[in-house]
Amino acid sequence: MVLALAVVAALRRRVRRTAPGRRFFRHPTAGPGLFVLAFFVTIAIAAPVVAPYPPYYQIDISHPNHPPSLQFLLGTDPFSRDVWSRLVYGARVSLGIGAVAMLVAATVGTAVGAVAGYFRRWVDSVLMRLVDVGLAMPRIFVLLMAVALWDHIALWVLVLLIGLTGWFGTSRLVRAEVLSLREREFVAAARALGAGAGRVIFRHVLPNAAAPIIVSGALGIGHMMLLEAGLSFLGLGVPSPIPSWGNMIADGWQRMTVAWWSSTFPGLAISLVVMALNAVGDALRDALDPRKEAA
Amino acid sequence: MAAWLVRRLVASIAIVFAVVTITFFVVHLAHGTPCGSQDRPLPPEVCQQLCRRFGCDKPLLVQYGMYLARLGHGDLGESIGLHRPIADALAEAIPNTFILALAALLIDFALGLALGIYQAVRAGRFGDVAVGNVALLINSMPVFWLGLVLLLVFAQWLHWFPAGGITDPVLCPRIESPYCVLDFLWHLTLPALTLGLVGAASTARYQRAAMLEVVRQDYVRTARAKGLRERRVLLVHALRNALLPIITLFGLAFPFLFTGAVLIETVFAWPGMGRLAVSAILQRDYPVVTGAALLTSAMVVLGNLIADALYAVADPRIRVRAGEGGGGGGGRD
Amino acid sequence: MPNARRSTGLIPLAVLFLVAGCERPVGCTGEYCGTMVIAGGGEPDILLPPVSEFVITRDVTDQLFLKLADLGPSGNTIGDEDFQPQLAARWEWDAPTTLVFHLDTRARWQDGQAVTAADVAFTYDAYTDTLVNSSFRSSLRQVAAVTTRDSLTVVFRFRQRYPEMFYDAVYHMRILPAHLLREVPREQWRSTAFGRAPVGDGPYRFVAWKAGESIELAADSAFFLGRPHLRRVIWRFTPDQQVAVTQLLAGDADAVEVLVTPDNVQRARADTQLATYPYKGSAYGYVGFNLAAPGDSTRPHPLFGDRDLRRALFMATDRERLLRNVFGDLAKVPPGPLSQLWWIWDPEIRELPYDSGQAARLLTRTGWIDTDGDGIRDKDGKPLAFRLLLPTTSAIRRQYARLLQEQFRIAGVDVQLDEVDFGLYNERARAGRFDALLNTWNTDPTPSSGFPQTWTPAGFGRSNYTRYDNPEVDRLVDQAVASAANRDQARRAWRAAVETLNRDAPGIFLFATSNVAAVHKRIVDVTIRPDSWLALLRTWRIPADRLTDRDRVER
Repeated sequence: MVLALAVVAALRRRVRRTAPGRRFFRHPTAGPGLFVLAFFVTIAIAAPVVAPYPPYYQIDISHPNHPPSLQFLLGTDPFSRDVWSRLVYGARVSLGIGAVAMLVAATVGTAVGAVAGYFRRWVDSVLMRLVDVGLAMPRIFVLLMAVALWDHIALWVLVLLIGLTGWFGTSRLVRAEVLSLREREFVAAARALGAGAGRVIFRHVLPNAAAPIIVSGALGIGHMMLLEAGLSFLGLGVPSPIPSWGNMIADGWQRMTVAWWSSTFPGLAISLVVMALNAVGDALRDALDPRKEAA
Repeated sequence: MAAWLVRRLVASIAIVFAVVTITFFVVHLAHGTPCGSQDRPLPPEVCQQLCRRFGCDKPLLVQYGMYLARLGHGDLGESIGLHRPIADALAEAIPNTFILALAALLIDFALGLALGIYQAVRAGRFGDVAVGNVALLINSMPVFWLGLVLLLVFAQWLHWFPAGGITDPVLCPRIESPYCVLDFLWHLTLPALTLGLVGAASTARYQRAAMLEVVRQDYVRTARAKGLRERRVLLVHALRNALLPIITLFGLAFPFLFTGAVLIETVFAWPGMGRLAVSAILQRDYPVVTGAALLTSAMVVLGNLIADALYAVADPRIRVRAGEGGGGGGGRD
Repeated sequence: MPNARRSTGLIPLAVLFLVAGCERPVGCTGEYCGTMVIAGGGEPDILLPPVSEFVITRDVTDQLFLKLADLGPSGNTIGDEDFQPQLAARWEWDAPTTLVFHLDTRARWQDGQAVTAADVAFTYDAYTDTLVNSSFRSSLRQVAAVTTRDSLTVVFRFRQRYPEMFYDAVYHMRILPAHLLREVPREQWRSTAFGRAPVGDGPYRFVAWKAGESIELAADSAFFLGRPHLRRVIWRFTPDQQVAVTQLLAGDADAVEVLVTPDNVQRARADTQLATYPYKGSAYGYVGFNLAAPGDSTRPHPLFGDRDLRRALFMATDRERLLRNVFGDLAKVPPGPLSQLWWIWDPEIRELPYDSGQAARLLTRTGWIDTDGDGIRDKDGKPLAFRLLLPTTSAIRRQYARLLQEQFRIAGVDVQLDEVDFGLYNERARAGRFDALLNTWNTDPTPSSGFPQTWTPAGFGRSNYTRYDNPEVDRLVDQAVASAANRDQARRAWRAAVETLNRDAPGIFLFATSNVAAVHKRIVDVTIRPDSWLALLRTWRIPADRLTDRDRVER
């Protein structure tokens, strides 16, 4: 907690010196959002320190469902596992899945968008029709089908799949950005100097298109986390006993009437983190929007 | 306008066609014959008979052709787990999903627009901030979790609403009296509210932003300069123009409603497409999964098409851009 | 289907009175009204008895299709004295192995046709047909032939004489209408339209099946053994038993088969509307080790082919504490593959102890040592890991699976869960496509038919999922079945058989249920037969003065 505050304060001091940084923190929800994120990232990294029990450890299975108390901060679940400890380790899994899947999605989306926007013509048509098809299939269906087709899916495959079904929107965004950038003088100049397509895209186009990618990335992590939670809730996501927040909700909800705490806290955790991501994403959008430069 | 519409229609059909093709080949490559999978082998006698019907001894392309031909006749095949034709099962489930989605959409837009306008009018003040933060929180919740919480509070603790299902099986085995319509609506409330609330939260955000955007534009300044009262400026001039983005939102809402429905139908035991698909997936009943995916995609594409058409009607400037852009976008899920 | 529905304007009007809370009786009055909603943990796959193994299917179809005779209140399966006539009005023995049934002349299919001897012969043919592949085939193995003498007389011939032959003749088969099913090719029985809208001869007739929601039956007022008191019986499907109990407690249902956990029992007892009915459990649950390689029954399983490994896993499991977590005091740890319903239940039967130290030593001795320090034992570079198959539809087993996962992890064994739909679970279990499974077996009322189904080669390809086969056990079982009339002798043989099996540890026997049903208090004369809780449903009734408006409403 203290550590998280310190991190946010330090960031704030550093970032304040730049104009976008000031705009970022002018956003009323940016500070709290960043704090929530820093908090969960901190406990995820320091999980062994802040968790009193290992995440799988079943303390006393003859007496499960302890209400929250000093000994068990958030109570224990129907398997007599400490909810707080699982929440902390679950932060690693859930945030990790969100971040990695988003990285995959952003990479693929950026690559496809850049290629389509830069080369235009048939490359663009083919890729964008592909994106149309991808957007037409609801993601959860695609994921469910994939999970059903290949039995016992490994965690990394699941993460990859979540990422690979999430790049369509990003690619459109990047394509639009690249389309407008490639007509600008500095890109034209680079091309005239004989730079290859790869070099132009990486050195000149993408850095200037970074803002929307970062913003959509920040917002996207939240989507990825919600998707993971939904899949795990249906029993088709992260395999037991790995503690993901979605898994924790699924494990506890049958006993909601007896022990509300074991599904409520992980649900709150997801909501808080996604909310923080949204807040930070919004603030970033405002901060990085070049149109606001003049204001 | 007509030509544009035809082009969009053709594009939409092409997209659905592509979805059909992809699912057909993916499922077939992974699981060959209609005799069930390795996991669910059907008895050899049954298999032979099915094979004759589906032509699994023929090359894959011929099978694909036959599949398309059957699809043209509305024949989606037999379900392995449900012991019945898939088209029948889907025909039973679709209206339920549709009604749920429609009710959710209604709540989504009614509540979302109202809140968005309220926020814009009170921009920067306490009401705006409070509503904004609550909306942000709801928009960030896992939709199934919100459903669980509502179920726990309103069905199991307060007993205000039923804990699931679609009608009371004793009093209303069929919906044929005013009472049963009420009973149906009573069952519909919680699931529709869950989906609608999450939707409304983002609708409100869009609406607020759109209205504030319009406020900065010239004609609003002119209106203001003419000495009109602020409230009137907002509600009459700004609102009219800020309704445009809502149409886009309508297109976006479709995929969200269907993906959300998958989870919500499971939570509330609502016998719709989502629940059918989920149970088919747990049963590894691939023909049903394929059928459900196909129909859902078709509906998403249709939703986008409607949104584009509305957009084009509302704002002729858009037509060209929308025409080249293809379908709308996902994003909310 | 025949469904006399009066579509007059009266119904909405009447129901509007309900809305207004009007006390006036509407619709049905008298002794034969009443509606019961049963919350069921699951949904039938198909309403055709020989091709379904679901317990909920049995509950529904037993109201639609009659047996020739049924168990009496004593539950005695030996001889024929305690059996009660159903379709067969009477029977006699022409020879020690020839049994003649005389059908009740009043019996009618609900489409008006008479029930004939030909129906019985047809049913036997279907139940024993390999194309239908009924799980009851092994139970009918001693019946050599079923023939008709005239339209109302049917003759059973047995291969040999044994104490429970009458039971085998009548208990397993629900007689089916030959005139409606003869034309359906046998390989299509698993998807026939009849299975979604059956026509029976029982106390209730089929009304409607709304997929994913409910099945409704209506009393057959002309039923020849006595008109059922409850006019409508409706099953509401829920994903599992725990949700079913939640529906009951929320007032959305009138009855559940089992309350499952102690806190549910407590809440049901505290509910002034509900009455609870404890009865003997007919089910036991176990982890079954696949002794054959998955998908190839000719080779032994790479892990569980090893008896020492199975014994070590058995000893590493603290069955008492697992039981307390899941069931509290509502079940018992069984001394082998036994349900509490069986008369051979005996806590004195010897079995392996819970001894994690010995389990660890045994694993180490057989070469399973954690050489790489990851907490999981390994041998020849392969970790000691397996997958546990279980159905998503059972909250109990999902709970057990997660507890076992941790117990085995502590013992250095990595277990991953394969949670699949119940139908798929059944098929994989039958086909032997699993490492280990978490099964609940609903036993027949007698071990003579219930035990061989699951633990002798007679059940291969059907319900002997583990493919356990020990000739010594088979011999002892045969001896026990043959001597069933002499309780002491039979008991000794059964005990020896179970103890032999326990030493082989083909499974870890986790729980034997003690059931508590809950039924709304307005329903009286609730008698529950432990082997099939709704077997006597037609005698349950709601007194005329306790009918609610829900009971009276006309469909």
